[in-house]
Amino acid sequence: MDLTLGPDEQQVVASAADFLRKRAPIARLHHASGGKLDAALLAEMSALGWFGMALGESDGGVGLTAVEEMLVFREIGRGLGPAAVLPIALAARTAALAGDRTLAAALIGGKQVAGLALADGPVEAAATSISGTFRTFDASEDGLILFATPKQSVLVRLAGRTELPCLDKSIAMGAAKLDGAAVIAQAPGPAAYDAGVLATAAMLQGLSETALAMSVEYAKLRETFGRPIGAYQAVRHPCADMAVRCEASRAQLYFAAVALRDSRADAGLQLAAAKSVANDAATKNADWNIQIHGGIGITAEFDAHLVMKRAQVLSRWFGDTRETLRAVLEGAAR
Amino acid sequence: MDLDHTTDESSFRARARDWLSANAPKEKRPADPGAANAFDRAWQRKLFEGGFAGISWPKEHGGAGLSLIQQMIWYEEAARAHAPAANAMGLALHHAGPTLIARGAEAQKAFHLPRILNGEAVWCQGFSEPGAGSDLAALTTRGAVDGDVLVVNGQKMWTSYGHIADYQELLVRTDPDSKRHRGLTWIICDMRTPGLRVDPIVNMMGERHVNTVFYDDVRIPLSNVVGSIGEGWATAMSTLTIERTMSFLPDQIELLQKADAAIALAERTRLSTGEWAIEDDAIAQRLARVKADALALRALTIANLSRLSRGNEPGAEGSVLKLHVTTTYKTLSEIVAEILGLDFLVYGDDRDSNRAAYEFMWSWVLTISGGASEIQREIIADRLLGLPRAR
Repeated sequence: MDLTLGPDEQQVVASAADFLRKRAPIARLHHASGGKLDAALLAEMSALGWFGMALGESDGGVGLTAVEEMLVFREIGRGLGPAAVLPIALAARTAALAGDRTLAAALIGGKQVAGLALADGPVEAAATSISGTFRTFDASEDGLILFATPKQSVLVRLAGRTELPCLDKSIAMGAAKLDGAAVIAQAPGPAAYDAGVLATAAMLQGLSETALAMSVEYAKLRETFGRPIGAYQAVRHPCADMAVRCEASRAQLYFAAVALRDSRADAGLQLAAAKSVANDAATKNADWNIQIHGGIGITAEFDAHLVMKRAQVLSRWFGDTRETLRAVLEGAAR
Repeated sequence: MDLDHTTDESSFRARARDWLSANAPKEKRPADPGAANAFDRAWQRKLFEGGFAGISWPKEHGGAGLSLIQQMIWYEEAARAHAPAANAMGLALHHAGPTLIARGAEAQKAFHLPRILNGEAVWCQGFSEPGAGSDLAALTTRGAVDGDVLVVNGQKMWTSYGHIADYQELLVRTDPDSKRHRGLTWIICDMRTPGLRVDPIVNMMGERHVNTVFYDDVRIPLSNVVGSIGEGWATAMSTLTIERTMSFLPDQIELLQKADAAIALAERTRLSTGEWAIEDDAIAQRLARVKADALALRALTIANLSRLSRGNEPGAEGSVLKLHVTTTYKTLSEIVAEILGLDFLVYGDDRDSNRAAYEFMWSWVLTISGGASEIQREIIADRLLGLPRAR
């Protein structure tokens, strides 16, 4: 048993962090609109294998596992990188599992993008068609969307959507109605959904760690009453609580990633627990990060609100707080 | 990363499971304190004879010489078999023994370690005082060297099992002019030494668990000093790191069992409205939250043990674990209290009259003893986050 990162795993983290720092720094978000990835960035991320990380080489993927994929998404979360990577990766997995090698190759190669669809009411999904009301993320007007549940994942093409301004301006949100829309690819089973839960929990974990790091850095520098605020217990103790949340949710994230990789019988339960503690840690740490920064924390020019807004979006992807808690209680029995 | 057991770990788990199913006592731990103490000692004796005493202690000191992960496996199997907890034997196994192994003289180790392992000796701790709890370095109990003995005068407090202990790890100020951490001495005190008096402190649950110990010219041979005179702080701190992680392992494992038990309770208990407690969204959500936290705590334990097994220097892992385990235990006991409604109020000043009410109150013991939650946050702020100090 070992829940510390090995050298290869550390290498995955270091190279992802390095790429994001150079190509998608947080500063870009202060003038962001929508989650559109330009062709150059798509090509570079494709070259890194980010859209086919955990897919086998025979499917055109990198042949790594849920663990490495989790580590990349944690770095995307930490650096507030493009969340739009996730639906593309899940779409590629769905296309590959559905046997559509051409579509899978286009998605993995960064030539084709896909957005995420979350149910915004009852959904009727048959093997060949789907109906219901959806909220879309990073989907273009006539683009592909991925919709995943623990039972199946499907790819559908949108025929129009209403743009909605998103709390997180780096993500494009829309509302769409589908009425018997033709399913382009369908994969039975929880593979895409589970990968989505893990990757979203990983991005939330990155956010928790960023919020803590920002608070600790500021607490060492900012002085009031002649002392750094980090010397006051009113600041030290919330920081310690942020650290405890980070440590516990990171351990659970790692546990769930290994459980999924190894197809352990308890993988569903571990994933639900990971998403549940990650939702809590990211939203609470983002909250405290603003509070500890005081006045500057609520300004548009400072980064703290970006962390909070991303956490609010991601805590609703692949199981909001109520849904994940229900899944934990049911032992994620499937 | 992996969650696999090595062959050694798997075979140890199988061996522990077989042994526990044949040897774990079927009868409950008696309520009478004297009988409970005899029960604890007998169970430790049985563990010793079965080769399961001091699992992660080195072989040369009489332990089984196994890994930290195997120690965790043992606790998991013991919990699964509902085997007795260490209770009064815990301090000796988790703290006094490891301290002697780290700093004790050969004669001290040769005498005490076998008695700890075979259940002959119960130990208590003499650190806290009326004026020195969270701020341990403020302690004032005096130790004056007189020939080859140390003459101790003063008072210790919150001494768990002091009324049944055979020995005490006693921390006293031997240099009257010293301040704070300097000038302290760690000495083994035989609880039968003349001049020593143990008075009970009855807790809010109605039980005698902790005590006040008074020292009136208590004469202890200098050969009982562990480490050297004036270096008591270093001796006291030598085992606070790995042991803090290890000593909360049983609580962490128990928490997962308790979370499942609370879910089962909610499934068979009706609220005053007539609905099943589990059907109440607020209760269901909070139970699920605790279950998720308990799972995360298990993962955190494995992550900590992995780090320590790789030889990494212990940092604030024990504090993170202690803070999170004890606050989660408290949250769980509050939910159980709510599920039970009016039945929660039936309590006859002993734990068997209402286990839930007892544990509800015990949760404060957990969040205050062994370094209060506030102290754990200070340690985390210092060691894990490197925040500036005010003290």
